[in-house]
Amino acid sequence: MHGWTGQILRVDLTTRTWRRETFTEEWALTWIGGRGFAVKILYDELRPGIDPLAPENKLVVAVGPISGISAPNTGKTVVAAKSPLTGGYGDGNLGTRVTEKLRKAGFDALIVEGRAERPTLLYIDDTTVEFLPADEIWGKGTYETNDWIYARYGKGAGVLNIGQAGENLVRYAVIRSMEGRAGGRPGMGAVMGSKLLKAIVVKGSQPIPQAFPAEMKALGRDDMRTVHALDQKAAWSKQGTTGVLPWCNEVAALPVDNFRRTHHPDAWRVDGERLAAATVAVYGCPNCTMQCGLAMLDTERRESELDYENMGLLGPNLGLFDITQVATLNYMCDDYGIDTISGGGVLGFYADAVERGAAPGDIRFGDFEGFRRVLTAIAQRDGEIGNTLAEGTLRAARAFGHNSEEYAMQCKGLEVSAYNCKFIPGMALAFGVSPIGAHHKESWIISYEIQQTPRESYGRDKAQKVVDLQRIRGGMFEAIISCRFPWVEIGWGLEHYPKYFNTITGRDWELEDFWPSADRIYALIKLFWLREFPDTNRRADYPPHAWFDPANADTEGPIAGRILEYDKYDELLQHYYDIRGYDDRGIPTRETLERLGLASEARVAEEYARLS
Amino acid sequence: MRITVKLIGGLAHRFGAGEREQEVPPGTTAGDLLAALGISDPRTVLTTRNGWGIAPDEEVAEGDRILVSPPFSGG
Repeated sequence: MHGWTGQILRVDLTTRTWRRETFTEEWALTWIGGRGFAVKILYDELRPGIDPLAPENKLVVAVGPISGISAPNTGKTVVAAKSPLTGGYGDGNLGTRVTEKLRKAGFDALIVEGRAERPTLLYIDDTTVEFLPADEIWGKGTYETNDWIYARYGKGAGVLNIGQAGENLVRYAVIRSMEGRAGGRPGMGAVMGSKLLKAIVVKGSQPIPQAFPAEMKALGRDDMRTVHALDQKAAWSKQGTTGVLPWCNEVAALPVDNFRRTHHPDAWRVDGERLAAATVAVYGCPNCTMQCGLAMLDTERRESELDYENMGLLGPNLGLFDITQVATLNYMCDDYGIDTISGGGVLGFYADAVERGAAPGDIRFGDFEGFRRVLTAIAQRDGEIGNTLAEGTLRAARAFGHNSEEYAMQCKGLEVSAYNCKFIPGMALAFGVSPIGAHHKESWIISYEIQQTPRESYGRDKAQKVVDLQRIRGGMFEAIISCRFPWVEIGWGLEHYPKYFNTITGRDWELEDFWPSADRIYALIKLFWLREFPDTNRRADYPPHAWFDPANADTEGPIAGRILEYDKYDELLQHYYDIRGYDDRGIPTRETLERLGLASEARVAEEYARLS
Repeated sequence: MRITVKLIGGLAHRFGAGEREQEVPPGTTAGDLLAALGISDPRTVLTTRNGWGIAPDEEVAEGDRILVSPPFSGG
């Protein structure tokens, strides 16, 4: 088979054994790779109801058919498991040298099972797997851990590691790589920690199987040059993703003070222009053509890589407008291995709850030193507050009570990314139906919605756009796997991706040929959630209550007096279900599942829950 | 009439940062403003008026605040 190695590496940390397994070309074409491989493996192998932090959970590291090939932005890897934060399917992607090295070691996926007896470093190369002691780095942050690994294996090695947050089972701990890259928002780092797996190191040297390697080499080289040139013209990399912050502030979509407000006159102090002026280094993923990791010095003179999400959620969302302070909180999250989106969301929620008298403490929005202390307590699970907040916003709200769940900014337990959707119905839907909880990567409809549609509309066109974007972003890009940035930011057309796929696999796919796989992946993720939550209903696809609360409407600015409406949102949600072929609970119907080739998976689901 | 124009993101590096107040004749459209900036294809940017999207053929009005942004796909 061309395009895939055809092999999966299965590792058992309990028995310290490993074996190579094979898959067929038909299986590869059905699930493509990355997220597709991950959800299929986890659905088939995980028993519903297991504790995500128990040895029974499995961590899947999966790459795709264009991963690691020298072509624009193909350096990403998916990490997935049952989420300790949401209890459903969880995944994320991150740029890492593991992408290329795992392929060159002869694998398209790694499945990690069991639990080690002691802190362990898993070493993988072309011929062997070793279970090495990691006591020396257990308890260390991700930066020191990374340095320790580089000193022993060289900077060219593929590395995935966790910090103290993963070790201490913070439910939104991420997996880190290359010092600045992170992935797995719904607690993939905690899954590693639960297995006493501090790091994975991969070295590989075999050629990646390709149908037309010479043609791919030339195509990748030419396209890398072209995209580099486009980026220079667009000047995107001068601010990276932080350029979007003033736009969000302008259109009243910025999270300020736990999403209470949507804009702030001081937002310019933490925007892309300020970051561009303070940038001391720029970092990116392997094969990156448009590096988004802009590093500046924080209050302790440490390099901290900022992007829009962490700038928004650790800045205005906490009432902080000193960019060096934001950089410090970001550095701390990165070193502890805490997801910056959820970290900012949890801290903002806590300050809100304290201010409203629902939670103990004296923290206030704008209290930089206070947030530092709380963040450290979370990473160490120190004290009652540290422990409670380490559980994530939803669990913390349930612990605090006093109706605090109404302003817990999360969907399905995952904290909302940095887009305040008080009056942006389509983006609110995108968060509501995101298959891992409220994450922006699946369907970032917001700019289309503001620019090209009546903002106040709840029309079917918006639901259709959410589906279209999910197919491209959460479906194709997460499966093949590639970073989406060149597509929208500098107009690198989607037609390039089937070209890479075909040159590598020898197939003859058009762009539309990816959509059945994308829909299949989304449907199977739904079944995964259904087995875990058999009594689920459409309320699970609702965004936070705060976006519907008239008392929470802006009192001034572009959307003064406006707020989402439940009945209209519900109609928009129904449009989404109708387009997707889901029932009124948001579950794919039996007919839809059969159309997508998921009849056997449907039968498994029916052992636990009803299908329509 | 006087309006305010602000360019953000990569556009600020291409055309100059900061807000600028400028005088424009009545009947000026958003597309006219973009063309004057050297942006010939309005589809390549996001343009808002007072926080709401504005189409290229819509006329601007006294006191409007126009923000022009490159396209984004998220953070």
